[in-house]
Amino acid sequence: MTLLLLIAIPLCGGFLAWLLGRFHADAPRWISLAALGVGFILALDLGLEHWGAAGLANDNLWLLEYSHAWIPRFGISFHLALDGLNLLMVVLTFLIGILAVGCSWKEISTRVGFFHFNLMWVLAGVVGVFLAIDLFLFYFFWELMLVPMYFLIGIWGHEKRIRAALKFFIFTQASGLLLLLAIVALAFSHQSTSGVLSYNYMELLGTPLSEAAGMWMMLGFFIAFAVKLPVVPLHTWLPDAHTEAPTAGSVILAALMLKTGAYGLIRFVVPLFPDAAMAFAPIAMTLGVIGILYGAILAFAQTDLKRLVAYTSVSHLGFVLLGVFAWNELALQGVVMQMICHSFSTGALFVLVGALYERTHTRDLSRLSGLWAVAPKMGAMAMFFAMASLGLPGLGNFLAEILVLAGAYPVSIPLTALATVGLIFATIYSVRLVSRAFHGVNEGSWEFSDLSLREAAVLGVMVVGLIWLGLYPQPVLDAAAPTLSHLLSVMQR
Amino acid sequence: MNPIPMEQSLMVAAMLFSLGLIGLLVRRNVIFMLISIEIMLNAAGLAFVVAGSHWQAADGQVMFLFIITMAAAEVAIGLALVLRLQSDLPTLDVDAMDQLKGGDDA
Amino acid sequence: MNTTDLIALSPLLIVGLSAVAILLLISLRRNHRAVATLALGGLALAMASIPQAAAVAPHHIAPLMMADGYALFYSALLLAASFVVGLLSFDYLEQRGEQREEYYVLLLLATLGGLVLVGANHFVSLFLGLEILSVAIYVMVAYARSSPLAAETGIKYLILAGTSSAFMVFGMALVYAQTGTLEFGPMAAQLMQMEDFGLALPGMAMMLVGVGFKLAVVPFHMWTPEVYQGAPVPVTAFVATVSKGAMFALLLRFFAAFEADEAQPIMNILGLLAIASMLAGNLLALLEDNVKRLLAYSSIAHLGYVLVAFLAESSFGDEAVTFYLVAYFISTLAAFGVISVLSDGKSEADRMEDFRGLYWRRPMLATLMTAALLSLAGIPLTTGFVAKFAVVAAGVKAALWVPVFALALGSAIGLYYYLRLVVVMLSPVNPTDDSNSEATATDDAMSTRAPNPAILRPKKVPIGPAFALSILAIFLLGLGVLPTPLMDFIKSSVSELR
Repeated sequence: MTLLLLIAIPLCGGFLAWLLGRFHADAPRWISLAALGVGFILALDLGLEHWGAAGLANDNLWLLEYSHAWIPRFGISFHLALDGLNLLMVVLTFLIGILAVGCSWKEISTRVGFFHFNLMWVLAGVVGVFLAIDLFLFYFFWELMLVPMYFLIGIWGHEKRIRAALKFFIFTQASGLLLLLAIVALAFSHQSTSGVLSYNYMELLGTPLSEAAGMWMMLGFFIAFAVKLPVVPLHTWLPDAHTEAPTAGSVILAALMLKTGAYGLIRFVVPLFPDAAMAFAPIAMTLGVIGILYGAILAFAQTDLKRLVAYTSVSHLGFVLLGVFAWNELALQGVVMQMICHSFSTGALFVLVGALYERTHTRDLSRLSGLWAVAPKMGAMAMFFAMASLGLPGLGNFLAEILVLAGAYPVSIPLTALATVGLIFATIYSVRLVSRAFHGVNEGSWEFSDLSLREAAVLGVMVVGLIWLGLYPQPVLDAAAPTLSHLLSVMQR
Repeated sequence: MNPIPMEQSLMVAAMLFSLGLIGLLVRRNVIFMLISIEIMLNAAGLAFVVAGSHWQAADGQVMFLFIITMAAAEVAIGLALVLRLQSDLPTLDVDAMDQLKGGDDA
Repeated sequence: MNTTDLIALSPLLIVGLSAVAILLLISLRRNHRAVATLALGGLALAMASIPQAAAVAPHHIAPLMMADGYALFYSALLLAASFVVGLLSFDYLEQRGEQREEYYVLLLLATLGGLVLVGANHFVSLFLGLEILSVAIYVMVAYARSSPLAAETGIKYLILAGTSSAFMVFGMALVYAQTGTLEFGPMAAQLMQMEDFGLALPGMAMMLVGVGFKLAVVPFHMWTPEVYQGAPVPVTAFVATVSKGAMFALLLRFFAAFEADEAQPIMNILGLLAIASMLAGNLLALLEDNVKRLLAYSSIAHLGYVLVAFLAESSFGDEAVTFYLVAYFISTLAAFGVISVLSDGKSEADRMEDFRGLYWRRPMLATLMTAALLSLAGIPLTTGFVAKFAVVAAGVKAALWVPVFALALGSAIGLYYYLRLVVVMLSPVNPTDDSNSEATATDDAMSTRAPNPAILRPKKVPIGPAFALSILAIFLLGLGVLPTPLMDFIKSSVSELR
């Protein structure tokens, strides 16, 4: 029941925000903040309750389960379940949601109610994607989060927003349809062997499939998640969407929506199709490494700050792909860490760029210089997150990437070596970002106020998060461990 | 009396039908197009009568009655529309009827 | 004819009698409101009689009609759709000072034709139903006499429909020549004993021309955009739903009598038609700026989707077809309902421009339109999503990979134009209001033309359409969240088919 609440709270909060937005512009902001706060506390409370013994030792994978028949004709049930892995993601979702509301407090001044409605519904969709354990329900939420995101980009975005929104929508929707085909095909294959039509993940695990069928279905899942992640040949929507979205939109895209792709890879692609995934692993890992290098090189070449940050996402999430298909405990731990740390570091960079844009109305790196003197707090923050992004030891990202590399090493030495080169590129673009924008002479004679308390608070949370993850990641690793070991055992069977 | 084989009579019906169809495609005058449709419908009627006589059943003739009735109704409406059209446009050439194109100038 | 026959046919009888009653009423006194009330009352009464008819179902009214759960389900669907069209028509016609009353006679007759079609079990009833439906629609399409487009639309539709009827009847004659029976069941039994179909094969192919025309699948789709654009909006809604739905119901019944592999050549043709419709419909819609034409192309694609489930040839597929048609009816009626409410006495709100900024002026209507479009696009929380899922499931189960991939591709293309309209509705009313340069996704040429003044002067939605639209909205979202009751109902209704 609590699981249902986790989805219902943002849904209802969104509705309420929309309705009350007609009366006062601040009402939606406070309602959203309150709803997300309640959701966050609820999720955190669930976490603290189960963090200790129950989740770790228990044979039963799920900490909590909620199931209700939905469309019995197709064997579909409204089935949510919580384990350590998606608990982490849900807590992260609510936290990032709060930060997104915080960072758009001043930025959004038109149609505030509708904005928050969309924001909350995206978050509800993301929570649903993380919690759904019925594949149809998963697809339902997967699609559900697209429409409000489309509106977020298309209404409150920058100059070329409509194009970017359409591109985003069509890429994700088209790949989503492949996912749907693969899901349906898997369910019917399962029916033909077991006689039961079901979309339940736990029942579909271990469905015997012929080699070709398994490969096709695996590709259906993989392409859908690869578009979201994004994996290099399918990434072209991402720089546009990130660049044109309002700050909150970029933050949610980078910090949460891309993670749904990573989550899908871990939860579905490999466990459901172990043989096909293993056959495909060399290609996938190569794509991951290409992503790391390609994203880093393009990030270096950008002058638009938002585009730059967007390409760093491509690079960082290449590690996720590499780690998932290395498929061992070290690599998967790294992947989980990377998912969380990337949310903070990239999310924070988007918040910073958004704050800068609000003040200077430009994102052009060539026009910005010497801003440290104008806004020292902002400069310090940018420095910190750039360092996090390049993988400074002591911060979460370092740990995540090292874990992935350590996990990938026994699988493929050359690919690991190439991925390591990506870390060097990361240093170059991160340093370039900070030195161009904040160091040097203030040639543009920029004058503006430094970070406000609200902005500093938003970024501060992320700073604390990254330092904590870098110094004491054990709780996160512990939370994900039972799930990961279960997933690994599925593979060995 | 030697009955005419069904295949041959059906061939006649098919030829009639084709003539009607060709007329429909070639003629650009609405009245002639209506006549062509009439010919096609009657070809179908003939085919029904032929098939009915082959099976020694009244079904074909019943169907033929329905077909003429319907053809009459259709032509009545067709001619009414032609009259309406005549007052709007000085011609009965279908190629002149081009108001329904594209969204912009309609 | 005994009492049971009369009870089983009561929906048809009530609709037919209402049409006659209206004719008599008009000859006594012209009163639009009274006539409309009588028509709607007749439709409602016919719907109310369906449970009685269901009590005696399945009942074969020898030899022409079949009153089984399937026929009654579709009858209810058609009657409900006609009722909605009737509600929309009243206010639409009220704004136009013409002879309004006869319209309802035609509406009822066309509905009667549809009811005959869904119960048809025999070539004679098929032909009668089809022609009652078509002939009434010829007049309805051309009904708005003040519109310069009316007569042209009417004559074009008449010529094409007449040709397709001729094809259909000739095809029937060939099938009859081969089998010697006009009844579906014996006909299928007869054909299945034969070595090959002989004359019946070209016959059935020619019948498909007639069917394809009514369903507006590629390549028989040419009339669709023109008739959709030229006909009055409520009539367009009627043509888009009742006429196509009735024809599809018939198609399903006809082919359900055949074994799967017997009719394989015909199924292959239909498969090609489905693929062509899905792709061509969606691609052609990309180019449209007229909303009615856009919906016309989209309906071509949708009929292609339904055909995919039809090709599955299983009761699973039949259920998917039926559910999809219900979803399509609801979404299409909602979309045309919004257009109808936005139209005024002089012109119809069918240009993209008329929808600009609708969201900020008429939020309820815009939200409903958005929901309808998203449902047509198959986005979650709407009926269209579940329906599309059902169709995909049926297609995948029958391993129809090529059509299913065409469906996926078509839906992805389709999104583009549905969203384009949504974006236009979300744009600011006046393009210059927007501080950002790019106001819409549509080309600049459009922004130079002023929106329809009727839209800038919001009027209250009249009670009839408001009622119809609220019901549609409830179903649109309700069936998207809780489809199970309807699904079970469809399952029990359709089960008698195979």
